[in-house]
Amino acid sequence: MAQSADKTEQLIEQTGEKIGKGKFPFQIYSDDAIYEEELRRLFSRTWNYIGHTSEFQEPGDYARRYIAGDPYILTYDRDGEYHALLDACKHRGAQFCTADKGNTTHFRCPYHGWTYRNDGELQGMPYKEESYQDLDPGEIRLEKATVERYNGLIFGRLVDEGPSLEEYLGDFTWYLDLLVDLTEEGMTVVADPHRSVAPHNWKTPAQNFGGDNYHVLATHQAVFESEGLGEAGPWETLPSAQERKGDYNHLAVTENASLSFLVNYDTDTHMGYPDEVTDYYSSDLTDKQRELFSQSVYFFSTLYPNTNINHAISGGGWGGPWVQIRTFVPRGPSETEIMSWWLVPKELADDEEFMERAYHGFETTSPGGTFEADDLSVWAGIADSTDSVTLELNETVGNMEQGLEGMSDDLETVDDPLFGPAEVQRFGGYYSEAGARNHLKHWHRYMSMGRPELDGSETDE
Amino acid sequence: MSESEPVDTATTVSPAVQHEVEQLLYTEAELLDSFRLEEWLELLTEDIRITAPIRRHTHPGTDQPEFSEDGYYIYNEYDILRERVTRLGKEYAWAENPRSRVRHVIGNVRVTEVEGEEYTVLNNQQVYRSYGDATDSETLSAQRETTLRRVGDDLKIADRVVYFDDSVIDLKNLTIVLL
Repeated sequence: MAQSADKTEQLIEQTGEKIGKGKFPFQIYSDDAIYEEELRRLFSRTWNYIGHTSEFQEPGDYARRYIAGDPYILTYDRDGEYHALLDACKHRGAQFCTADKGNTTHFRCPYHGWTYRNDGELQGMPYKEESYQDLDPGEIRLEKATVERYNGLIFGRLVDEGPSLEEYLGDFTWYLDLLVDLTEEGMTVVADPHRSVAPHNWKTPAQNFGGDNYHVLATHQAVFESEGLGEAGPWETLPSAQERKGDYNHLAVTENASLSFLVNYDTDTHMGYPDEVTDYYSSDLTDKQRELFSQSVYFFSTLYPNTNINHAISGGGWGGPWVQIRTFVPRGPSETEIMSWWLVPKELADDEEFMERAYHGFETTSPGGTFEADDLSVWAGIADSTDSVTLELNETVGNMEQGLEGMSDDLETVDDPLFGPAEVQRFGGYYSEAGARNHLKHWHRYMSMGRPELDGSETDE
Repeated sequence: MSESEPVDTATTVSPAVQHEVEQLLYTEAELLDSFRLEEWLELLTEDIRITAPIRRHTHPGTDQPEFSEDGYYIYNEYDILRERVTRLGKEYAWAENPRSRVRHVIGNVRVTEVEGEEYTVLNNQQVYRSYGDATDSETLSAQRETTLRRVGDDLKIADRVVYFDDSVIDLKNLTIVLL
């Protein structure tokens, strides 16, 4: 639904005003103009996940990736540098990347043959002396995004200003180390990413995985009712979900991320990994990080705005433990591509039994996964209904009040170094929507900034 | 976990065998389309494996395989398939509640290899799906490579690889009735 510019600013402002009280305008999940501003104000500035260093083994390796919905090529050059190049020739705008991955030192435009090195510099064009006598190829290069890395994770953004990647990750790095840097040799991506497009707004899965434990029992009830799938590993040492008290479930919220995690206080758990995983622990991990991991059952997290990192359960028919990085690529107000990578600790990559169990865990969140297939159906409905005229004309607001003061007697803020540096809530009712609220607060901060002014790769004459 | 791409050559089998193979695939399609999944399970051998490898889009002339050799959307043996069937039978399996209206159209059935009691069979298929009152229906186009094994008087499905034509899955979700 297209809105006037004023209406767009009003929706942004309303979200900022209401979200502290757990309310939000539904329209931001489907509005065309809001979506267009998200690409320009939010995704241009935030760190967008675009790949893992283990995918790039040889100089010249490249892969198709997306930033702010735009088609980029992530390249690895002979100096070991990574570049995110916009797939648009600076001559007439044609695309030159014709595979989802490959290896090349140069990209040649199919239209007129302009050729670029894999660091984005223009190498030359056919008949230069006859056609472009006065043109200096050294002044032409592909548009590039800024690229930074943390522990093998590669991120890009359109602006070259604002917090560095490490600053942006902030307190989340403490948890991120457990998720993707658990062992000394680190993680490696297995196989190509899952790619699937489905009808929902990108914010829906981002908030779902950034702390929405509440949906599990309703959305995934069929999984729990299925005998073999309902079987659980570390879950078995816990009381049933209904009986569970507040000692187990935690929600950690940092400036730019939120994650929910479950611990069972049994230090032999380490998420169901083979026992020798403790021999492989990274020397970078602190004692507290090791202690937390030893008792952990799962971590589900969203690094805002749209990177989802899970290091999750081993249990019965669910397989696992598995590590997964996903990005919810915006494709429209009501359309999102999910790119999903499966990772394993390098030390365990040759352990066939482990790999099989880990794959089955990963598969539960594929588009056909026993969990994800149900989520996707629900998310499609949200995209459809939040676009309604009724909600727009009534200025109807949705509810994210869970975990606010007065909503639960069991909610407790935990100040224990075992749970890391974030603000951690431990909740009796099992549930808090602090993660989703925090995601929209982050959204509001960026959406209030207006559009950034980029320098471009060349100066105008 | 590794698969090779299908080979597009047909071998000669008797019209009776060709007929029997086709009838089995048609019967199976009817069971999937009508969600008679308990009956569908009876067509599978206990050592069944159904996989759907990730498709890539690759440069012409590259030596990279077009289908991933270690990445799958689905990689299921009998126990998990059985669980999937049970799960879809639950009221709260929102993936298929309401039920999709599914229609397999199966064609180009070719027996490409006969080895002992087993036939390797290729077929092309267009699987149409409609659901609820949505008008934006979905189509999943694929080629299947199925190993059929003679067990007593019957042919049973002993192995299957589903090669999707899309490198990006564009579906509301991917449930087993679409395979």
